Amino acid sequence: MTATTEIEVKSLDFYYNGNIHALNGISFPIYKNNVTALIGPSGCGKTTLLRCFNRMHDLYPHHRYGGEILFQDRNILAGDLDLIDLRSRIGMVFQKPTPFPMSIAENIAYGLRLKGIKNKSELIGRIEQALKHAALWEEVRDKLNASAYELSGGQQQRLVIARALAVEPEVLLFDEPTSALDPISTAKIEELVAGLKKDITIIIVTHNMQQAARVSDMTGFLYLGELIEYGTTEKIFTNPDKKQTDDYITGRFG
Amino acid sequence: MTTEQKRKIESVIALSLSGLAAAIGLFWLVYILSDVLIHGLGALNPGLLFNDPAPAGVEGGGLRNAFVGQLMITGAATLIGVPVGVLGGTFLAEYARGKKIARTISILSDIMVSVPSIVVGAFVYAVLVRPLHHFSGWAGALALAIIMIPVVLRTTEDMLSLVPWTLREAAFALGAPRYKVIVQVVYRGAATGILTGVLLSIARVAGETAPLLFTSFNNNFFSTDMNHPLASLTVTIFQYAMGPYKSWHSQAWGAALVITLFILMLTIAGRLILKWRYKR
Repeated sequence: MTATTEIEVKSLDFYYNGNIHALNGISFPIYKNNVTALIGPSGCGKTTLLRCFNRMHDLYPHHRYGGEILFQDRNILAGDLDLIDLRSRIGMVFQKPTPFPMSIAENIAYGLRLKGIKNKSELIGRIEQALKHAALWEEVRDKLNASAYELSGGQQQRLVIARALAVEPEVLLFDEPTSALDPISTAKIEELVAGLKKDITIIIVTHNMQQAARVSDMTGFLYLGELIEYGTTEKIFTNPDKKQTDDYITGRFG
Repeated sequence: MTTEQKRKIESVIALSLSGLAAAIGLFWLVYILSDVLIHGLGALNPGLLFNDPAPAGVEGGGLRNAFVGQLMITGAATLIGVPVGVLGGTFLAEYARGKKIARTISILSDIMVSVPSIVVGAFVYAVLVRPLHHFSGWAGALALAIIMIPVVLRTTEDMLSLVPWTLREAAFALGAPRYKVIVQVVYRGAATGILTGVLLSIARVAGETAPLLFTSFNNNFFSTDMNHPLASLTVTIFQYAMGPYKSWHSQAWGAALVITLFILMLTIAGRLILKWRYKR
């Protein structure tokens, strides 16, 4: 396992609605070309943590960060950071599929145009490449101009992944990407995630512990806004150091 | 008498009363529409649309000036009112959502929607017509635009609020700046709803007479000069219906039918778009 650190979280605190302390002194490294899973019971702060990496919290008022998140040695919590640049390098896939109200091809072209790609033949090439990358090409090649809403939930989620991949991010954040999908679609997405890590770094929040065990290399267990334990997925799931982790993994609470 | 019987009688009385109330309402609607249809159809001929008015008391002539004037005033009002309304609604839903100023403006617009239109006419008279010492097509367009703005603004705000928040987050997460998120993603999601609001607001102002009496006034001659008094169908109907000549009355009926059909078509188009949109 190569251990180049892509992101280093250092004593991260996060407050929202003025003074609600959602994340408390979190520190851990995220390795390049790894899948890192964040697990924990509802309300433990795993999604909140995930949304710090692309500063999604900045869309809403009354929030405050403390500590640092170093992405390739640069603090992305710095006030003068270019959020547009950050978000094109750290992409995100949400819990519910979020296709835009446009055609399948336009959905992918949207992100490419944001990057300044206007050349039509280049757009077409990159759209095909992204759809192939997300294992959706064969299913949609004949209806690229159909509305994205005509696709099934699982196809929509792969379309959204293709859209995120098209802008060539270095890190991709997944926020419970399969919780709204059926088992077959879930398996396809998991397969996709496993295949993507050779190109990019992946952080995935999941409720589903089997999923975390199946797809991830590293796992962090969060509870009440604190990172209780962080280590290789194998260790966390077979021989955790902390009792709380063991209780959660074995289903005694959460 | 048992309680059950009593309840049944009460139910029959309530049902008859509400049925009667509905019938009274419908009766006048059908009466007015059929009256307009019967009298208007007789007056409807190509001359009404393509000829200018004949001198008072002389038979023949048409209302070309009023049709053109009406279209110009309504068109100009749409050009002023729709951008202001859509941008204002965008501000409320996208930039000021949840803030006190957004709620305040929303409530004020709701009040504006129900302000009597003659008050708007008098206002434009005071700020535009009096200082310039003459009536003008622009003044009429401004009065109608002021009536349109709150309608368009509130519809836009409501339609944008219906677009799921996650869609905006997804666009932001791709690295889109705020204005691109709004223009390219949110507007697309809300387009049919906003278009419907615009159509209904045009329908709302197209039938206004009171605000035009104080502003664009009337013109018996054909004119396309927005800087001078301009004829409109509604004011012409008002004037001709009050006039002493039989041919005027007949032309007023014809004009009334045309404007009723125009508004009916806009309203139906608006409803159809909404239906088509939300069926899917």
